[in-house]
Amino acid sequence: MQKINKNVVLALLSLTSLVFLLFQLYYYRFYLSHKSGAAFSKVRGSQSGQDSTRWHVVRKFLGLISSHNIQVYLIDPFILELVDKDIEQIRSSPDGPSPECKYFCAPRDFTTFALLDKTWKHEGGLFRTAEKMGFQWLKIINKDPRLDGMDDLSGIEIPLHYIFKLASHAIHLVVFYERSGNYLWHGPLRLKQHMDRKFVPFRKLHFGRYPGAYEKPELLPVSIDDLKVQIPKNPSSFLEEMSHSRFLECRYREARAFFQLYPDDASLDAVEFRKKAKSLLHLAALTLNNLGVKFWLSSGTCLGWYRQCSVIPHSKDVDLGVFIRDYKADIIPAFQKAGLPLKHKFGKVEDSLELSFQGEDDVKLDIFFFYEGEDHIWNGGTQAKSGKKFKYLFPKFTLCWTEFIELKVHVPCETLQYVEANYGPDWKVPVKMWDWKSSPSNVQYNGVWPVDEWDDVIQIY
Amino acid sequence: MDEWKPNPAAKPHKKRSWYLAWKYKLMNQRALRKLCQTGAVLFLLVTVIVNIKLILDTRRAAYEEEEESAQDYDDEMLNVEVLRHPVSNKKVLDVEVYSSRSKVYVAVDGTTVLEDEAREQGRGIHVIVLNQATGHVMAKRVFDTYSPHEDEAMVLFLNMVARGRILIFTIKDEGSFHLKDTAKNVLKSLGSQVAPFLSWRDMWTFVGKKGGEVYGEKHAKSPALSTWGDPVLLKTEVHLTSVEDAECHWPDTELNRRRKRFCSKVEGYGSVCSCKDPTPIEFNPDPLKDNKVFDVPVAVIAGNRPNYLYRMLRSLLSAQGVNPQMITVFIDGYYEEPMDVVELFGLSGIQHTPISIKNARVSQHYKASLTATFNLFPDAKFAVVLEEDLDISVDFFSFLSQSIHLLEEDESLYCISAWNDQGYEHTAEDPSLLYRVETMPGLGWVLRKSLYKDELEPKWPTPEKLWDWDMWMRMPEQRKGRECIIPDISRSYHFGIVGLNMNGYFHEAYFKKHKFNTVPNVQLKNVESLRKDAYETEIHRLLGEAEVLDHSKNPCEDSFVPDTEGRIYVMFIRMEQEADFTTWTQLAKCLHIWDLDVRGNHKGLWRLFRKKNHFLVVGVPASPYSSKKPSSVTPIYMEPPAKEEGAGAVPAVPAAEQT
Repeated sequence: MQKINKNVVLALLSLTSLVFLLFQLYYYRFYLSHKSGAAFSKVRGSQSGQDSTRWHVVRKFLGLISSHNIQVYLIDPFILELVDKDIEQIRSSPDGPSPECKYFCAPRDFTTFALLDKTWKHEGGLFRTAEKMGFQWLKIINKDPRLDGMDDLSGIEIPLHYIFKLASHAIHLVVFYERSGNYLWHGPLRLKQHMDRKFVPFRKLHFGRYPGAYEKPELLPVSIDDLKVQIPKNPSSFLEEMSHSRFLECRYREARAFFQLYPDDASLDAVEFRKKAKSLLHLAALTLNNLGVKFWLSSGTCLGWYRQCSVIPHSKDVDLGVFIRDYKADIIPAFQKAGLPLKHKFGKVEDSLELSFQGEDDVKLDIFFFYEGEDHIWNGGTQAKSGKKFKYLFPKFTLCWTEFIELKVHVPCETLQYVEANYGPDWKVPVKMWDWKSSPSNVQYNGVWPVDEWDDVIQIY
Repeated sequence: MDEWKPNPAAKPHKKRSWYLAWKYKLMNQRALRKLCQTGAVLFLLVTVIVNIKLILDTRRAAYEEEEESAQDYDDEMLNVEVLRHPVSNKKVLDVEVYSSRSKVYVAVDGTTVLEDEAREQGRGIHVIVLNQATGHVMAKRVFDTYSPHEDEAMVLFLNMVARGRILIFTIKDEGSFHLKDTAKNVLKSLGSQVAPFLSWRDMWTFVGKKGGEVYGEKHAKSPALSTWGDPVLLKTEVHLTSVEDAECHWPDTELNRRRKRFCSKVEGYGSVCSCKDPTPIEFNPDPLKDNKVFDVPVAVIAGNRPNYLYRMLRSLLSAQGVNPQMITVFIDGYYEEPMDVVELFGLSGIQHTPISIKNARVSQHYKASLTATFNLFPDAKFAVVLEEDLDISVDFFSFLSQSIHLLEEDESLYCISAWNDQGYEHTAEDPSLLYRVETMPGLGWVLRKSLYKDELEPKWPTPEKLWDWDMWMRMPEQRKGRECIIPDISRSYHFGIVGLNMNGYFHEAYFKKHKFNTVPNVQLKNVESLRKDAYETEIHRLLGEAEVLDHSKNPCEDSFVPDTEGRIYVMFIRMEQEADFTTWTQLAKCLHIWDLDVRGNHKGLWRLFRKKNHFLVVGVPASPYSSKKPSSVTPIYMEPPAKEEGAGAVPAVPAAEQT
């Protein structure tokens, strides 16, 4: 009798645990699919048609947006990646019905859209309608960087991000602002203290960790998964741009403090030099951008940006850096065509290349080429009369966008290390007497050019 | 369990027999039993493992989330919680009001809401309006009723205050000299017993509810002309009403929400806060066809004159072709009330920490505003610059839309301005006519971005230079011989009486009679002929057609110009060299037009209207148009009056018209 009892209990136990185990496995799978959707996206995406919550939420959102006459465009990197693969087909049949839900049904937490600030009127009505439709929404506002550089203007805070949440899906709407320098800017996403940190898993957002700078995109209206959306005309170049979009704001507060200590030179000469340097930099940027050569602010120009958000009036030239791998033989003729004749050329492509162009009235444009070493990056210098070579070492850096005298340009993201390498720890103190051979703190003697090469490596016009 | 305990004695039921048999078999097969046991243990193990993994994963995810959101997404700035005033349920306010020669103050529940003991300032009647439900200050005004017309402003203000509000009055120094009967009667109707008998240098305080009870009044008579009345201190209690009673019940729309916010904070804006049929705050004027200035940003430069700003924005938002999206109001200082006005109209406003003093402060505010405008609208090639004390003509944007291409194409232009310095009621006639002038009138003008960014911004006067921005812009170093386009009939009207360089006398003498266009959709007629060379041809044509007036008559006399209409007349005055404006100034004086400095000239030529005839004045021999003078005509010379008289009725005010 005992034995029978035991067996029955055993059977019951086994049954229960089996059921429980199955439940857990099912749940774990569900959990996994949420966590790393990619693995399951294909399975679910190709499942019968358009049943995913995501698709419905996106459709609802697009309906909401169009009912208020607001234009948004899709910038979700995962979808754009998929779209990019089929771009030809999508372009050729912009209105065709799609047989399956390919793009908007992959289960994700977010879909990301962009909104151009100047195309909408900040109407409160949008949010009331959104609420009526069942959306929960969150607005992230912050200071207006366009007024940041200004003495003591306190504007209203501007919206940088919106998040609309419905059921398990959220729409991340990134607000893009046009800024001086003809580019688009979006802000970082920072939560204020009282905000709901659990509203959505913020760390998974594709935009908002840093501010970003973008070119104004050309848009293409398409219909994907039977939803009409606008996408960047060239998704792959948008994605490429996105990967290098980090933007640094100039340190306006520090610049103001600097000018408190060292009042700005307001003499007519300084005004004139700044004007010339600005137009020279604009011209150089135009020329290099047309050639597709990536460049950044270097030396004194970079210091001016970092320390005082303006051109240092006593610097007398404009300095740019270019990686030697981006060197193109067309650079010299292109500058000549732009009205900037070559002034001198030191070194050669293999070693210590440096070009100088003559701008208007003695303002010189220096382009230093940077070589990558094991654990550092360096550029070279040459003394014309002695043939001596110098080497300037910098810690490795990456490039970020910034705005400088109404221009979107690159600067090293690790600007402080870059400036300190070049100018030492006292870079905050203006120095009028600067000797490029001995003043920099990162200069190294690098031998002498062989005399038979002098004609090639020391060219002065 | 019991029920199916097998009973060996009894015969098993047939139904269960197969089951029991199977069980016996199982029991006997040990191996099978072992298998089952292991299976169960295995299940158990797997379950436990899956469970643990699940828990670990969840915890890690949660941890990471917190970590990351804490690191990357936290705003570094601490959100400073605004301390809210504890909502007092008190039903009674203690009010203290003090009036004396050199000091006034008002304290509500121990908090000083007004204190003025500055010398040479704040003379007249101070008025404070309190919300009858909350006790908050809704308006603070001072009317210098020692000076003319200020009492009219006070009556206007008091009439605009809603019924039920609490009004507090106190006099500093002197408040009766120009306090006329109308104003005294209004004060009497509020319940004041003393007001009708207020006289020279009396001290007076009064607290009452508009349209209701009187809470207290005190008065001290001045014993003699040369002395002031004794200081008076009034202490009284005011009973608060419920919030419900103090508010209007407008339908719940976005506009009304803005209205409600505004009306519960400030007072003195009249019908915009009426419970019944309030004035609209959205205007929807007709759009312009082919509007070339729809995307041009509009910068409104404002100080702390919220009533002016209110009037100005109303007229601006009513102008045809206005684009509210492009309007930004720049407020010089952290003033709340102007910002409330801006928000009432749903516009965007920016406040500016004041830098420097007086004229330099205005100048720095201008610079910051202009720079910010071009930062906020980086696409813009132009900006419209307006001030808070201007009425904007209904066809302001139409006027600009028709002329703005000139500013883009003609390098010799400095600006387009909506203001004609010489366009008075009796000297302006043709709304479709434009001029080129060598001066920069301001008062509603268009600035080219390239001019600002390349030339003006880099060398804008620094804060320590106490310069007027407009005088600086008029200097030859800046203007470089370029000209501005102006209309014959101004598209803006300067209504400001209070201001840095402004007072009642001055306004009446120079601004009140200014002509202002009220006709919509005026088609401008000579736009193309305003280009540099075309304008010369035009002038020569005009001079060719013009009839020379009789130079033997006195040009100040009305009969100097015949009683005709639509004719062109020319007169010649003496002007030895380019900067010799002796005769012109005298002529301007007797014509009652702008004579404080030279305005509206183009190469020694002035164009205006007299008796509906176009009237040209040419300075000989400095003007290149002198050649048109018939040799028989002697240019008129007018002698400046002797110095003593010259200082006359008009107070010497430099640089006149801005703010």
